[in-house]
Amino acid sequence: MPTEILEKLGKKVVLLGNEAIARGAIEAGVGMVACYPGTPSSEVPIALSSVAKKVGFYFEYSSNEKVAFETATGAAWAGVRSLTAMKHYGLNVASDSVLPIAYLGVKAGLVIMVSDDPQGWSSIQSEQDSRYFAKMGKIPMIEPTNPQECLDYTKLAFDISEEFELPIFLRTTTKTSHSIGTVKLGKIRKLKNKGFFKKDPARFNTIKRPNLQIFHRKLIKKIENIEKKYSNKLNKVFPGNGEIGIITSGVSFEYVKEALQMLGFDLPIAKIGLTFPLSDKFISDFIKDKKKIIVVEELEPILEDFVKIISKDVNPKLIVHGKDVFSVVGEYNLETIIPGLEKILNRKIGIDFDKHKKNVDEVLKDLPPRKPVFCPGCPHRSTFYAVEKVFGKNTVYSGDIGCYALGIFEPFKMQDFIVSMGSSLGLGHGISKVSDQDVVAFIGDSTFFHAGMAGLVNLTFNNGKSPLVIVMDNSITAMTGHQPNPGSGITGMGEKVNPVKIEDVAKSLGAEVRVANSFNQEQLIQSLNELKKMKGPRVLVSKGECRLLTKRLMHKRGVKLPVFEITDQNRFKKNVDNVFDKFSCPAIIKENEKGKTIYKIDPNMCWGCSVCMQISPEGSIKPKRDDK
Amino acid sequence: MKFDLMLTGVGGEGVLTTGVIIARAANIEGYYVRGVQLHGLAQRGGTIPTFVRFGDEKEISSPGIMQANSDLILSFEPLEAVRATFYARKEKTTFIINNHPYIPIYANLDKIPYPDLKKILKKVKPFAKDIHVFDTNNLAKKEFSDVIFGNTILVGIAVGKGLLPLKEESVREAIKITVPRGVEKNLKAFDLGLKIGKSS
Repeated sequence: MPTEILEKLGKKVVLLGNEAIARGAIEAGVGMVACYPGTPSSEVPIALSSVAKKVGFYFEYSSNEKVAFETATGAAWAGVRSLTAMKHYGLNVASDSVLPIAYLGVKAGLVIMVSDDPQGWSSIQSEQDSRYFAKMGKIPMIEPTNPQECLDYTKLAFDISEEFELPIFLRTTTKTSHSIGTVKLGKIRKLKNKGFFKKDPARFNTIKRPNLQIFHRKLIKKIENIEKKYSNKLNKVFPGNGEIGIITSGVSFEYVKEALQMLGFDLPIAKIGLTFPLSDKFISDFIKDKKKIIVVEELEPILEDFVKIISKDVNPKLIVHGKDVFSVVGEYNLETIIPGLEKILNRKIGIDFDKHKKNVDEVLKDLPPRKPVFCPGCPHRSTFYAVEKVFGKNTVYSGDIGCYALGIFEPFKMQDFIVSMGSSLGLGHGISKVSDQDVVAFIGDSTFFHAGMAGLVNLTFNNGKSPLVIVMDNSITAMTGHQPNPGSGITGMGEKVNPVKIEDVAKSLGAEVRVANSFNQEQLIQSLNELKKMKGPRVLVSKGECRLLTKRLMHKRGVKLPVFEITDQNRFKKNVDNVFDKFSCPAIIKENEKGKTIYKIDPNMCWGCSVCMQISPEGSIKPKRDDK
Repeated sequence: MKFDLMLTGVGGEGVLTTGVIIARAANIEGYYVRGVQLHGLAQRGGTIPTFVRFGDEKEISSPGIMQANSDLILSFEPLEAVRATFYARKEKTTFIINNHPYIPIYANLDKIPYPDLKKILKKVKPFAKDIHVFDTNNLAKKEFSDVIFGNTILVGIAVGKGLLPLKEESVREAIKITVPRGVEKNLKAFDLGLKIGKSS
């Protein structure tokens, strides 16, 4: 689908929030973009990588968010406007460098786009509120509400960052990033992609005392000045009637506006665009003549707590509602906002939400669910299937972040826990150190490069028996949309490079290594059996390209993937439990024909991996010959 | 003016692209557009409800439609029409359903059978002002030897019936800028849908 992010000045187009951020960066003249993909922020780098060459800025997918942030910072120090985008957990990884760089500052604008994921649409671990990072690091943070503001605020973020020589957060939540909206495009500023790093000990020497304290004081001053200069630009009051006021930010503003219309209220709304530093003055002015304030913000009560503190001085009788009616848990939408407002404002919109939900639940109750499954032809399915054959159900399966996380579901149930990027090795190591259980750690190629190597070297250093590490190498960062990683042999700008081979890395880190083709059950099982007998750090690299990628590449070349068919029902049924129930490829379907159960391979779904043929009784599944 | 459209189907069916075509068509007509796709971890085979809202900027700000509030639900898969009832109500919502089931992989394992069309329609009826059922996948397979064009046929039907208030020309324009590779077949599919919509 061709993007519209490079359309002309003044044109109105429909963009995803994340695409609007990408356009904003281009309009701001960004010269360097470095990211590690993480949804819900992924479309920012996806959009930017697709146009980097054309526009003329440098783009890279870095090996992790910390490296990406450092890369962008280096460029900003050398005078080139830079951007990095990451999801909330990415910020946890990058934070080790993000926090100190607030003290050192930057030269050219440096924007850190960070997206939180309430509800965990694309996140396994937690509903983290990254606004705390702004406060912790004394780093300014601004928050857009819709795609138009995503564009405008990105540009403004570069200006603020450059003016105060500080990195700045552009923070969204899922629905700001992932919603579409009409956006009017602005002028694209001429970009600068070449810079020069000037040595400056007065700025960079934090070891010399009392520089640290001097830098810290300077940072506090900068933050005060940002509040003075930008509070009224970024925080806006939408006037209304009555003694009740609403304070909100981000996408919640979009819900509040519409919810009030539906409820027939015209209340004044204060929209907070400058999340850090929060402005005493702006909030004081808004709350001083109100009887009640309703704070609507996704996740933690950060605005609410601030309002409560301020109100003690300016309006001690003020009643503040927030998390007493709106949840800390989950994401907001119209149906979560409206009942809360109905309660406080004592008016109903005329739709009985509870009754409607009850009626819907009634019709939904006997529907077959659509559970998350591996794609047809997925190499992970084949690897899990083989590992279960060799290691059974009682082995401890330490999980990690990637498509293979779906192995937590039936039929495999082979991820006993999933914590963070690269954690499978450390967690597996800890368990294997104190128990006699067999431990297998699963990790993907991109995740291995991101945060797995340190875990592996620690196994060599400290664990004589060690878990078996299985690297599920599909040659791409699949889950976030097929971004290249160090093993892919291609950069974020499409340049060919030598792929880093995981087997070479693992060997040099001290592990016994086997490599097997993910689509070859015999090879997998043989390698697994060999490694099972050994002790010490062991790595199986199960290599099989993401089938979705293979399919796309083949389609481009005009080559069709083979399709398989069940040619002998009776033979197939001899091992049906294994193939249909355990292997569970969505292309293999069970149908009822004239009262008889028959199994078929849906030719529209089969992506030709051939593994079902390998595990079925000989002669029951064959490649379809008439497929042209 | 405010029009709340929900599209729903199964991941990998092209629901997202169809949503973009409609959003771009509305933008071409000068409407303010807002929308969102609710997608989770599953790349393929999962439910993907998509919302496209267009009209007067003053009336629209939320990216998602409120429950019970869709004007039109285009369901690319019959079972998903039932799951969309949360966003539908009898006084307001019309359903157009593509009767081409996509059987969930675990339907058999869980011993919850995939309901037949009669049962599906019975479930949807209390939430629908009107229901129209077509098998656009089959039509697409016959006409274009690819089921994917069933989506554009369905959009054509919606416009042809006057249930999706967009001009034919703006949808054609949006198809051209959104799916340039398959533009000819998509335009033909759209026209086929229009014809069916106008005559049924």
